[in-house]
Amino acid sequence: MEKKHNFSWDKLYLAVVFVFLYVPIVYLLAYSFNKGDTMNSFTGFSMRHFAELFSDTRLIVILLETFMLAFLSALIATAVGTFGALSIYYVKKRQQRMALLSLNNILMVSPDVIIGASFLILFTTIGSLVGGIGLGFWTVLLSHVAFSIPIVVLMVLPKLQEMNESMVSAAYDLGANNFQVLKDIILPFLTPGIIAGYFMAFTYSLDDFAVTFFVTGNGFTTLAVEIYSRARRGVSLEINALSTLVFLFALVLVVGYYYISKDNKSKKKSERRQKGGVMR
Amino acid sequence: MKQPIISFKNVIKCYDDDVPVLKNVSFEIEEGKFYTLLGPSGCGKTTILRMIAGFSEPTEGDIYFEGRRINNVPANKRQVNTVFQDYALFPHMDVYDNIAFGLRVKKLPKNQIDQKVKEALKMVQLAGYEKRGINEMSGGQRQRVAIARAIVNEPKVLLLDEPLSALDHKLRLDMQYELRELQQRLGITFVFVTHDQEEALAMSDEIFVLNNGNIVQSGTPVDIYDEPINHYVADFIGESNILNGTMIKDCLVEFAGKRFECVDEGMRENEPVEVVLRPEDLDLTDEEHGKLKVKVDTILFRGVHYEIICYDDEGNEWMVHTTKKAVPGTTIGLYFDPEDIHVMRFNESEEDFDARLESYED
Repeated sequence: MEKKHNFSWDKLYLAVVFVFLYVPIVYLLAYSFNKGDTMNSFTGFSMRHFAELFSDTRLIVILLETFMLAFLSALIATAVGTFGALSIYYVKKRQQRMALLSLNNILMVSPDVIIGASFLILFTTIGSLVGGIGLGFWTVLLSHVAFSIPIVVLMVLPKLQEMNESMVSAAYDLGANNFQVLKDIILPFLTPGIIAGYFMAFTYSLDDFAVTFFVTGNGFTTLAVEIYSRARRGVSLEINALSTLVFLFALVLVVGYYYISKDNKSKKKSERRQKGGVMR
Repeated sequence: MKQPIISFKNVIKCYDDDVPVLKNVSFEIEEGKFYTLLGPSGCGKTTILRMIAGFSEPTEGDIYFEGRRINNVPANKRQVNTVFQDYALFPHMDVYDNIAFGLRVKKLPKNQIDQKVKEALKMVQLAGYEKRGINEMSGGQRQRVAIARAIVNEPKVLLLDEPLSALDHKLRLDMQYELRELQQRLGITFVFVTHDQEEALAMSDEIFVLNNGNIVQSGTPVDIYDEPINHYVADFIGESNILNGTMIKDCLVEFAGKRFECVDEGMRENEPVEVVLRPEDLDLTDEEHGKLKVKVDTILFRGVHYEIICYDDEGNEWMVHTTKKAVPGTTIGLYFDPEDIHVMRFNESEEDFDARLESYED
């Protein structure tokens, strides 16, 4: 047993980095179980902040609305983004295709503040010209859909490029029409990319603050905006409790993702084994 | 004459106003035969196949299917199916669903689909593999699935785009037999694209040799092998010794500094020509009995035969395939019969060539 002698600098480095990353979160989470009302000192274990949280109907409603928003915007963005990726892929001229792809990527890297501000201007202009558009759920939904589309495009395109073009030809050759080719061949092949795109869009929508902050109005707010406005008044430990729950939720997602990908990998491995067997 | 199932009339194909890939191609394909389009990569053979399948339209000229012009008929409306070079199977479906795809698209009743898929699987010797995933199959098995997926639709013409190129040598030979047998059993017209002359010779009823977007020669494997029209065909199909010579008169040709009796006729007197002698038609003998005196340069053991490279007095290279052994550095004699000599004119068109051959062969 050499357990005592396995010190090395790279392990220390890793440990320090992770400690730096996680200490603030753990600190936040730990105080959600505090008996007292502040984060100054831990006075004892209690679940009363969780009880407070669950009795705070306003916050629970916002939580549900936030999830609802993420669910809807990701759904719409996935649909639009998938077809966007398809049409970018099928642009014949290389230069045109690269230009479209760059336009897509620019949206990905441009700061949220700019996107938020531009949407605010757009919505208020339309509102003043046509009328009837109040800032609220619909404007937030539209802008979330808008900033999620490039993400979906970026997740679906690599899968499309992986696709064997002659597979599509084969489907036409066997008598399929455009719709059948799309439904039976292309979309099933893209499914992993589409699902990945959906989840990325979902998480982006869930934790967006800047864009939402710009384009929301009275009567609709998301979790991020709400926490921000409460934090300005001094963070109540109720927020810590909420953070604990959201963190646990994220943990479940990560673990779930791990098991799904492990499943796929082991499937691929067994496929390889079988292939090897056949070749032998 | 029977109506051809497919005919090309003066078909030209250009991509993006570049040099044409096909330069005025015309040919006819009859029902129930095994055709091969043979040529090096870039000769336009796959373009022809894609045009028959409907993935590509001719820039000029017409394509007829059973007498009907089909230039603008899309791929999914043609009674033609393709076996793709990389098989192009659907990886997210199992073997059964892959094969049933075409039938389901045609909305056949379920029990009929079931019966036809089972039949097709039996035909390619994969009965019992219905539920296998595509990724669980070997290259040869995928190949068979691809063939089954195409023939299950009972096409009038089956197109095969270099389907054997990804298989190893042994499997390839087996598949050549199987494809040939399958074609004869089904009676469907096969159009097979390959750059491998051995495949073409072994399987075809009729071969079209292509070069640079033109059909250079068409005919049965034996015709093309024994009577190549020009240097290109002689060189591309099989091994050959090609020499410059002069046609002194009918049935007398001069090359390598000597005059030889031959069986070719119909050329001008003293016309410059090219002469082909196949390596396997040359026999080794001693100096006195040989028609030609050559010096052995190298000898290579090829398994079935020795490949011997010799040089004659004029410096022409001679390749000989023989089961006899020779010693490098020695001088030996080469013997061949008049029928072994094939004389080719320069720039003779295929029509003239065929007409000339017919004039003296009967």
